[in-house]
Amino acid sequence: MKQLHEQDVVTEREIPRARLGAIGWLVLALVVVAVAAWEWKMRDLGLVAGDLGDGKSAWAVERRKIASGDHDGVVIVGGSRILFDTNLDVWAEMTGRRPVQLALPGMSGQQFLRDLAVNSRFDGFVLIDVTPEQFFRVGRGHPAFEGVLDYWEDEGPAKRTGHHIGRFLSRYLAFLDNQYSLTELIDQLEIRNRGKIPGPFLRPWKLSENYEDRQYHLWREIETNESLREHAIRVWLGRGLGPPDEALIARICADVRGSVAMIRARGGDVVFIRPPSSGGYYEREQQNTPRDRTWDRMLREADVLGIHFEDYPDMQGFELPELSHLTREDAVRFTRAYVGVLRERYVGLRPPPVLEPAG
Amino acid sequence: MVFNSLTFLVFFAVVLVLHRLPFPWTAKKFNLLVASYVFYAAWNPPFILLLWGSTIVDWYIARGIYASRDKCRAVRRSWLVISVAVNLGFIGFFKYGEFLLQNWQALMASFGITWVPPAWDIVLPVGISFYTFVTMSYTLDVYLGRSKPIPKFLDYALFVTYFPHLVAGPIVRPTQLVPQFQVPRQATRDQMLWGLGLLILGLFQKVVIADGGLASAADAVFGASGPVGFADAWLGTLAFSGQIFCDFAGYSTAAVGASLCLGFALPDNFRMPYAAIGFSDFWRRWHISLSTWLRDYLYVPLGGNRGSEARTYVNLMLTMLLGGLWHGASWTFVVWGGLHGLYLSVERWVRSRTGVAGDPAGAWNRLALALLTYALVNITWVFFRATTFDGAARVLAGMFGFAPDADPVLPTIYMIKVAAITASILVVQWLMRNVTLEEVVSRMPWWLTGAVAAAMLFAVIIAQGAGEAFIYFQF
Repeated sequence: MKQLHEQDVVTEREIPRARLGAIGWLVLALVVVAVAAWEWKMRDLGLVAGDLGDGKSAWAVERRKIASGDHDGVVIVGGSRILFDTNLDVWAEMTGRRPVQLALPGMSGQQFLRDLAVNSRFDGFVLIDVTPEQFFRVGRGHPAFEGVLDYWEDEGPAKRTGHHIGRFLSRYLAFLDNQYSLTELIDQLEIRNRGKIPGPFLRPWKLSENYEDRQYHLWREIETNESLREHAIRVWLGRGLGPPDEALIARICADVRGSVAMIRARGGDVVFIRPPSSGGYYEREQQNTPRDRTWDRMLREADVLGIHFEDYPDMQGFELPELSHLTREDAVRFTRAYVGVLRERYVGLRPPPVLEPAG
Repeated sequence: MVFNSLTFLVFFAVVLVLHRLPFPWTAKKFNLLVASYVFYAAWNPPFILLLWGSTIVDWYIARGIYASRDKCRAVRRSWLVISVAVNLGFIGFFKYGEFLLQNWQALMASFGITWVPPAWDIVLPVGISFYTFVTMSYTLDVYLGRSKPIPKFLDYALFVTYFPHLVAGPIVRPTQLVPQFQVPRQATRDQMLWGLGLLILGLFQKVVIADGGLASAADAVFGASGPVGFADAWLGTLAFSGQIFCDFAGYSTAAVGASLCLGFALPDNFRMPYAAIGFSDFWRRWHISLSTWLRDYLYVPLGGNRGSEARTYVNLMLTMLLGGLWHGASWTFVVWGGLHGLYLSVERWVRSRTGVAGDPAGAWNRLALALLTYALVNITWVFFRATTFDGAARVLAGMFGFAPDADPVLPTIYMIKVAAITASILVVQWLMRNVTLEEVVSRMPWWLTGAVAAAMLFAVIIAQGAGEAFIYFQF
């Protein structure tokens, strides 16, 4: 046989002449100590074990419930407000149904409503959140969820398994929080930028704790830590998106109307909800997306029920720490209020009567 | 499955345990083969059929070629043609199908014929370019008389499918790996520890440096919709230059480490490429298993440097153009390969005219030439990273100072990260230009090696990468 190059002979690898056993023990000891110290530090900063985080895989688990029929006939879509402002346990307690939570931070519910209408046979009840500046615009949403509408079907076994292992570890280790990863912490350093580049410092930081079924709660630190709260407010108020043009509003209304009609044709229904906001954020929304141009017009054109927090006294008077999301206690109150409205309107959302045992 | 995932950690632990249990050698190899199929199917199960198809075709064809070794050359050549046609057919359909249709559409349009190709909704099977080259090298080696057919199908299938190299190389040759499967092997304690050390180093390069340190800057610059200024263009390109090295070299290092833990040696795929002096030196250091594959199975069969000088340059250009196309179905990759072919040709011409062979005398001269090589390699990375020629032109315009009024793109924190990491990569590669990692570790105090490895592992753990796929998976 011809042997021409090193590629033609069996590979052998050199092993360093070093005390590899001692090095191994040292690495193990140092890493255990360092990780323990890091875990302590992260807990001191307010991270908690059991916070499962969120991501495309977590969303995909919920979306697959719709595809497989493993659901109670209620789906929530929209942006972050309905994620934070809804308590799924309260929903289940009041209606006997646990919603599938498909809302996503920074996203418009419109494309997800269309996904349900076109790409599923869902014939239940859809609650769709309208955060006006997100709903009436064209955007890609949160980069962590980019492509999520295709991802849930394409996700391979390796990713699915990794998701479950990650959740298992998150129940015990607080530092496993991708919003407090090394990269995020470095990028969050405040350094002056050239020109008007916003930079990663002005991206939203950690706002939520996440639990089973994608139950979001406003992170406690946002309530108690003034600098984190002020950072979040600075981020929200620094995002001047401007008013949407008429053509865009008309296109979105038409799209919504089509999606609603498709779901209704299968026997389902759609209700819109506008959760509360406050302060400068609310004022900007009033200015850029006034109710009559957007919310009222969409309800009228799609002929759907809408629950606007301004119309119900028990959905007002909340104190929103960072102007956009409710605290976990207020989310319970808000959920009770809006589910109460829904129960009045939809018989199917009333819990089945509890039968007393005979005798 | 990617090395930088929790799924791989569990998978690898199970494989290691199985491999150390007292099973017969054949059972251990069977375990490894099944594990390799699981590794591949964990990405997208149906594509395992493609891998099986490629494996089986070349198994029979190589035997056919060998059985007809005493017959006329035409018979052997027909077997080879079938093998090449099947392998390139798979890769052509899945990887280049859309590209071919688009170019056909453009060609028709140039004749005034309007034709709209059907929507091409085909998923690219991960690693298809790598395992196709592996199976082809087997058949070609048998055809060229470099090796006999592998006697046992199990050894052959494991050679093709062995999970450490399966999806992103190194592109191994049968002669490098198959003999290792033929006798029982188990990693010694030191091989296991060194293998784990290489795995940590590879993950550090991928998770901390490539994904955490550099990817965002490269994405920002190459994703910019408007003009890009001088500093941004250079920093974005340097970021990608470091990212692709740490991503791919990180994968290769992790693959070598994972394999060593099982007792099998894989060849090096990178040897400090950014310390190269000249482009022939660069290609002896960058993606070594691909460059040697192209040399042995393309450049040499084309005639190599055995013909006229002009023919040598043509062979060089053809090899690099096809090498570019191997990376992706886009003309930007062809230009990338073409630029490298041009660089290699110019270097060859200069060396033949000046009579200078090897590195120049004088440390400063070597350093200056290494930096020039690095700068010119960075120009080629623009075409590799940009998805369109417009995008490449925007970045190149910035790099050559043609966009002085462009708005800034990179936040200061990204600029600091890119500058610090690029400088570190260049210094480390220059200092280790002529030594191996093993030699460096042999000379270092053990506690310092331990501290560095611990720091890298700790950084990997707290960086918590999102399990981003390696860039070379798409090739």
